[in-house]
Amino acid sequence: MSEKENNPVTEQNPPLKKESEPLLSKRRKKFISDPLVDDNPITLQVLGICSALAVTSQLEPTFVMAVAVIFVIVFSNLITSLLRNMIPTRIRIITQLAIIATLVILVDQVLRAYFFDVSKLLSVFVGLIITNCIVMGRLEAFAMGNKPWDSVLDGLGSGLGYSWVILAVAFFRELLGSGSLFGFKVWEAIGLGGMPNNGLMVTSVGAFIVLGLIIWVQRSRTGYVEH
Amino acid sequence: MQQSNGYIITFAIIMTVIVGGLLGAANQVLAPAQKKALELDNKKAILKSVMKLEASSDVEKIYADRIKSFVVDANGNKVAGKVAEDINIRKQSKAKDADRLYPVYKFLSAADKNKTEAYILPLFGNGLWNNIWGYIALKSDFNTVAGIVFDHAGETPGLGARITEEAIQERYKNRLIFDQNGKLISVKMVKGEGHPEAELGEHMVDGMSGATLTANGVNAMLYTYLDYYLPYIKKNRQ
Amino acid sequence: MDLLNLGIRSVFIENMVFAYFLGMCSYLAVSKKVSTATGLGIAVVFVLTITVPTNWLLQELILKENALYELTGLAVLKGQSFEFLQFIMFIAVIASMVQLVEMVVEKFSPALYGALGIFLPLIAVNCAILGASLFMVQREYSLAEATVYGFSSGIGWLLAIVALAAIRERMKYSNVPDGMKGLGITMVITGLMGMALLGLSGIKLDFSKEKKSKETAQVETTVQQNTALTELKK
Repeated sequence: MSEKENNPVTEQNPPLKKESEPLLSKRRKKFISDPLVDDNPITLQVLGICSALAVTSQLEPTFVMAVAVIFVIVFSNLITSLLRNMIPTRIRIITQLAIIATLVILVDQVLRAYFFDVSKLLSVFVGLIITNCIVMGRLEAFAMGNKPWDSVLDGLGSGLGYSWVILAVAFFRELLGSGSLFGFKVWEAIGLGGMPNNGLMVTSVGAFIVLGLIIWVQRSRTGYVEH
Repeated sequence: MQQSNGYIITFAIIMTVIVGGLLGAANQVLAPAQKKALELDNKKAILKSVMKLEASSDVEKIYADRIKSFVVDANGNKVAGKVAEDINIRKQSKAKDADRLYPVYKFLSAADKNKTEAYILPLFGNGLWNNIWGYIALKSDFNTVAGIVFDHAGETPGLGARITEEAIQERYKNRLIFDQNGKLISVKMVKGEGHPEAELGEHMVDGMSGATLTANGVNAMLYTYLDYYLPYIKKNRQ
Repeated sequence: MDLLNLGIRSVFIENMVFAYFLGMCSYLAVSKKVSTATGLGIAVVFVLTITVPTNWLLQELILKENALYELTGLAVLKGQSFEFLQFIMFIAVIASMVQLVEMVVEKFSPALYGALGIFLPLIAVNCAILGASLFMVQREYSLAEATVYGFSSGIGWLLAIVALAAIRERMKYSNVPDGMKGLGITMVITGLMGMALLGLSGIKLDFSKEKKSKETAQVETTVQQNTALTELKK
C-alpha cells in the first residue's frame, strides 16, 4: 500500500498542493504499466481467466470483449471510488456487484441495439463479465481505498493487461485454427494457400494450451517462479 | 467503520432506486433500436438467400421494394390479418402441428412487380450443440433451390459453424427438392468433403469434413420444413 | 430419457470448465489438494442445483415478456418485459441463495457446514453459477430440464476440479521448467484433460430413433434410386 503512504506527504505541504500531482505522474504511470507485464492479472495474479477466454476463437469478438471489460472495470472502479466513503461495510460486496452488474447490463443493451452482429457472437459471455474476478478484485483491493483518478488509472491498467493476454490467445487461435486474422485469410494472402488448419485450436483445448505457453514465455522473461 | 442499520437500509434503497431507474431508462431508450436491429438482421438473412448484399446496401429499402410476405396455415391456406415478419419461427416450432403458422416471403422480380422470382421459406432445427436456422429460397417452379442461408447458435467454430459460409451455402444452388414423380426428396448434405459434382446429382451437396453431425441436423431441418410447407407448395405448383 | 441425455451431455461434453472456461478462478486456486477440491466441488453442485431452478422460476414468472402481467393481472404491465434486469436479478438471487444455504446448513448440519462452510461465500462470484443460469435461459429449458442441467453441470465441474487436484498432487514428483510451474502447467493439463473429453463429443443417447430414422431412411433410399437412375441414363 505504498500509494497510501505517499498521499499524506502532499497533504502535509499545503503550498505544494496548488501545483498538485500531474495527471500522469511517475507514480501514476506505474498503475498502468505494472499490470501490463510485471503484475499481469492473468499470468501472475491468476485472476479473471474465466469467461472471456470462451470468445477467443476469433479476434473480432475478443476485441469487443476486451473493450467491454476495460469499460466495465474503469467505470466500476471510478464509481466505487467516488462512493467509497458512503458504502456501508456490511453490504459492500453486494453494492459492488450491483455497480458492476448495472454497467454490464448497459454494455449488453448498447451492443444489442447498435452492434447486433457482435452481440450475437458474444451471446451470454457479456453477462459473465459480472463474475469476472478481475473486476471484483480491483474494486475490493484498490478502488475502496483510493482516490477516483488513481482508481481509473488502475482499472485501465488492469483492463489493458488483461486485454493483451486474451488478444494474444485469440491471435494464435484464429491464425492456426482458421488461417485468418479478423476474418482476413492470411495464408492465402502471402501465397501459402495450402496451409492446413489445426482443428484443435478452435476448440477450448487450443485456448488452454496457448495460454499455458504464453504464461511460460511471460514468466521466463520476468523470472517469476510459483512454488 | 460501522454504520447504523438505518443508514444501511437507506443506502440500499437509494441504490436500488438509482440502479433500477437508470436501467429502466436505458431500456426505454434503447428498446426501439434493439427491436430494429433484430428485424434488420432478419431482413438481411431473408434477402441474402436470394441476392448478394453489400455492406452499403440499404436493406430496408430493398426489402420494402422486393419482398412481399404473407402467412399460411398447416394446410397451406393463406391466413388473413397476420404479419409474416412478426411470426417467431422458434416459438412456432413448439406449438402443435395443426396450430402452427408459416410465413412465406415472395421475392418479386425487379422489372415486373407482378412476377415472383422466388419463394423464401424459413427453416429451424437442431444442430450438434444448439439450434440452427435459416431461409431457403425456391424458384417459382417450387422445385429448384435459388439460394439458402444458415445461421446457428453454437456449432463448433471451424467445423459445424461453416454452415454460415457462403461457399457452403452456394453448393445448394440449383439443386432440386422433388424427384421426377413429384415426391419430396429434399437436398441432402453428404458425409465427407471433396465429392465430385457428377457423383452428387440433383439431391445431394458436398459435405463439411469433421461436421457430419451438424450436416445431419441441417438435412433433418431442411426435410422437416419442406415437409411442413408441402401442402402450400402442392397447391401452388403447376 | 431426454433428461438423462441432457445430464450426460452437460457432465462430459458441455463441461463447464473444459468447454466454456467457467468457474476457472476457483478451479485454478483451490485445486492443490483433493480433499479441499472435493469440498468446493460438492458445494458448487449444491448451489447450482438450487439456483438454476430458482432463476428459472424468476425468469418465467417475473422477467419474461408478459409474465408479470399474467401473474398480477395489472393492465399497466401488459407487454412489458423486464429482461433487461436479468443479470442483476440473477446475481442477487445467487448471492442471497448462497447466504441462505450457508445459514440452513450451519443450523441443521454442523458437520457439513464444517466441510463446506469456508467455500460457500466463494461461490457467489463463481462464473459457473451465473453461467449456468444464463445458458438455461438461452437454451429455453423447462423446469425439469433446468434442474437436471444445474445438477449435472455441477457434477461436471466437481469431476473436473477433483481430477485436476489429483493430478496436481502427483505433480510434485515431476520436473517442470521454472516458468511453467503452477499456473502454466495447470493450463496445459486442463487442455489435455479437455482433449480427452473431446473424444466423447457427439455422443447422443437417441431414444426417439424410430421416428427420425424413418425420415432419413426415406431420403436415403430415394436419393440412391435417383443416383442409380442418372447412372443408367449415362
